[in-house]
Amino acid sequence: MPDVDGSSRFRRPWGLPRRGQPSAPHVVRRDPATLAGWRDAVRARLIVCAAIFGLWTAAIEARLVYLQVVDHPDLMARADRQQTRTVVPPAKRGEIFDRNGRLLAYSVDADTIAADPSEIDDAAGVAASLCTVLDGCNADRRTDMAKKLGRRGAFVYVARQVTPSEARKVKDLGLPGIMLLKESRRYYPKAELAAHVLGYVGLDNVGLGGIESAYDSQIRGKEGKVLIQTDAKRHALFSRVERPATAGADIELTIDQYLQYIAERELRAGVEANRAAGGTALIMDPRSGEILALANWPTFNPNAFTKADDDARRNRAIQDLYEPGSTFKIVTASAALEHGIITSKTPVDTTPGYITFGSRIIHDTHHYGLLSFTDVIVKSSNVGAIKVGQKLGPQLLGEYVNRFGFGQALAPDFRGETPGIVWSPDRLDPSALASVSMGYQVGVTPLQMTTAVSAVANGGHLVQPHVVRAFIKDAKRLDVPRKVLHEAITAETAATLTTIMEQVVERGTARAAQISGYTVAGKTGTAAKLVNGRYQKSDYNASFVGFIPSRKPRLTILVVIDSPHGNGYTGGAVSAPVFKRIAEASLTYLGIGPTINAPPPVLVARHDSGGELEVVKRPAGTAVLTAPFEPARNGLVPDLRGLSAREALRLLSRIGMSARMSGDGFVVSQNPEPGSALVRGDACNLRLGRRLSSAAAGGSPP
Amino acid sequence: MSTMDFEYAIKKDVRNNPIVREVDQARQRQLWRSMGIGMFLVVVLLFSAWQHFELLRHGYQIERMQQERAAEEEINRHLRLEIETLRAPRRIEKIATEQLHLVAPTRDQAIVIERVTPAAPPDKSVVAAR
Repeated sequence: MPDVDGSSRFRRPWGLPRRGQPSAPHVVRRDPATLAGWRDAVRARLIVCAAIFGLWTAAIEARLVYLQVVDHPDLMARADRQQTRTVVPPAKRGEIFDRNGRLLAYSVDADTIAADPSEIDDAAGVAASLCTVLDGCNADRRTDMAKKLGRRGAFVYVARQVTPSEARKVKDLGLPGIMLLKESRRYYPKAELAAHVLGYVGLDNVGLGGIESAYDSQIRGKEGKVLIQTDAKRHALFSRVERPATAGADIELTIDQYLQYIAERELRAGVEANRAAGGTALIMDPRSGEILALANWPTFNPNAFTKADDDARRNRAIQDLYEPGSTFKIVTASAALEHGIITSKTPVDTTPGYITFGSRIIHDTHHYGLLSFTDVIVKSSNVGAIKVGQKLGPQLLGEYVNRFGFGQALAPDFRGETPGIVWSPDRLDPSALASVSMGYQVGVTPLQMTTAVSAVANGGHLVQPHVVRAFIKDAKRLDVPRKVLHEAITAETAATLTTIMEQVVERGTARAAQISGYTVAGKTGTAAKLVNGRYQKSDYNASFVGFIPSRKPRLTILVVIDSPHGNGYTGGAVSAPVFKRIAEASLTYLGIGPTINAPPPVLVARHDSGGELEVVKRPAGTAVLTAPFEPARNGLVPDLRGLSAREALRLLSRIGMSARMSGDGFVVSQNPEPGSALVRGDACNLRLGRRLSSAAAGGSPP
Repeated sequence: MSTMDFEYAIKKDVRNNPIVREVDQARQRQLWRSMGIGMFLVVVLLFSAWQHFELLRHGYQIERMQQERAAEEEINRHLRLEIETLRAPRRIEKIATEQLHLVAPTRDQAIVIERVTPAAPPDKSVVAAR
């Protein structure tokens, strides 16, 4: 390595030539002038190089500034187009459950077949290939498909929301320009069950009927936005959630799946047995106004709602008006009893079995003569009801028509509820007053009639009917409270009316509604149908409405059969048997014990193991089960969570505790808490559910 | 004197023994320092490259796993739907009545049992105190 002065670090004798240099016979001396010239030349060259380098750098910098400042927005947009992809994750539509958490409506992803026509050369050939794997593809559909694929454009739908097997077959075909997309599709796993309550959802995930439509904004949720950074092959590299998709709120209905099934099954049987045009059955909890079942016939499958006709999709319970006939006499009777115009024993003369208003003659089915007011209702005397209505007058009767909720939409959960048609009291002439008194010339919906009778059942409160029990969003539950609209009648009037309605079932027109072991209160109704302004002699609306057990009502049930043409046409002959079958099955399902000559309850007597028997006063005929106590572990309440109701009961009975259970399924929570001090004889409140919470650790033996 | 003679004379006289290499400590340190810095820069560069490629690899992995999770969740939803479809009351009743030939219990056969549980007796110590 040369030194600064050009010499080597190795000392060598003067005049010795360096390696590579030709050996010189003489020593070359360094000339300072030559050395300075060389340096100047190098300096000049360096300056030139530096200048060129500087210019080059400046040019580069200028270009960079241009690209990063002037062209920045355009280049960023181009880069984004190339490197990022925006995906819009669809919002999951909220689920709909029955009152026990059983799933009624659910959304899953379905495949949609789409195409990019610009990549398709042979539209007809591709359409023919697709048609071979799509179900129900006929010549017309194939032609439409070929037209779509032959259009100019970048995107067309070929078939939306196809079945998984169809999607698999299309994928296997590997056709050019054909792609599969994911779309959320609504399914109703129980098919026709509660179809009119649930409604249905269109292809674009918008509710088109029932609860799906009424609460569409809450159920639908909000779609999200995800930016995906891709590589040169468009493979996802990183993703960033700009806005997460928000799932819609879940809805818990007041409907009970099994009661709904019972109502639908028995209604269908009733309609078919009587060769009727259709029918409606409603079950309501008269205390809370909760609709436990709402059934219509004909019905439809919401999974394929496009295949059903409008008649099947119509919710008769809230959209159809019918003249209630004699069931409306409950309103007339309520008004008369409430205002003391009449008592249950007041005689009413129905002689001569008919009454005239000008040229109009209204008959009773029989000539009853002198009847008590109770018997007017029991035998459903039109003349008797008209005479009571005349005593009431139009103002008072009109007031009670409103008090019972007729002429107004009652349920906020249903869109398109018909308010009904009622007379203005000022326009009620004597003939119209007579008609209204016996349930003609008023239009009511089955829901209104059920709500009105529920008011009688619950002691006089008109409770708002509702089908939504709770909204659940972000793990928060928002219960829909019971809402009393107003007091329709006093408790005393309701009690008197209940007694009269019990007589209707016991010895009146509704004997077919009797259920052994239970007191039933109800009223039949038979009304000729009004077609083109004339009452028909062959078509009737046969109805029965009642509540059971009448002294401690749990269920109000209404059955309306439209145009029965079988064995009879009256409410007592057609609708009362359907009521009976629905009520019997419902009582068994709900575990409601008999109210007439009820068997004595089973007493559970306990005794300490090895100890003396506990003294229990035993009523005559009472069954006594004895169960020895078993010591609980450490004297603490065991963990029952995760156990079935049966297992939990067994455990509790062993350790001397009783149980109060709510819900259905497995133990989700308990009170007292596991591990708390055990107090024998205390009741343990168990909440049962179909879904175990994460906290449920599973039961442990005591 | 000819050139040959001169070269011979010079070569003859050259003796390497007295040529001694002097170790320049400062340059030695500079060399090691330079090599160290170079190595450090190379390591930093390699580490940076490794990080970058690891990031890419994990990015792909995360995306793949997210897709797998979404697919599994969707399968789960489909299975839940299938379960709920199988639980339809109409289907269950059809199987019960048509395949298993079961019949619904009549009112007489179904007995509702009301359990009345008497309160627990007081502790013996309490009884003794009375």
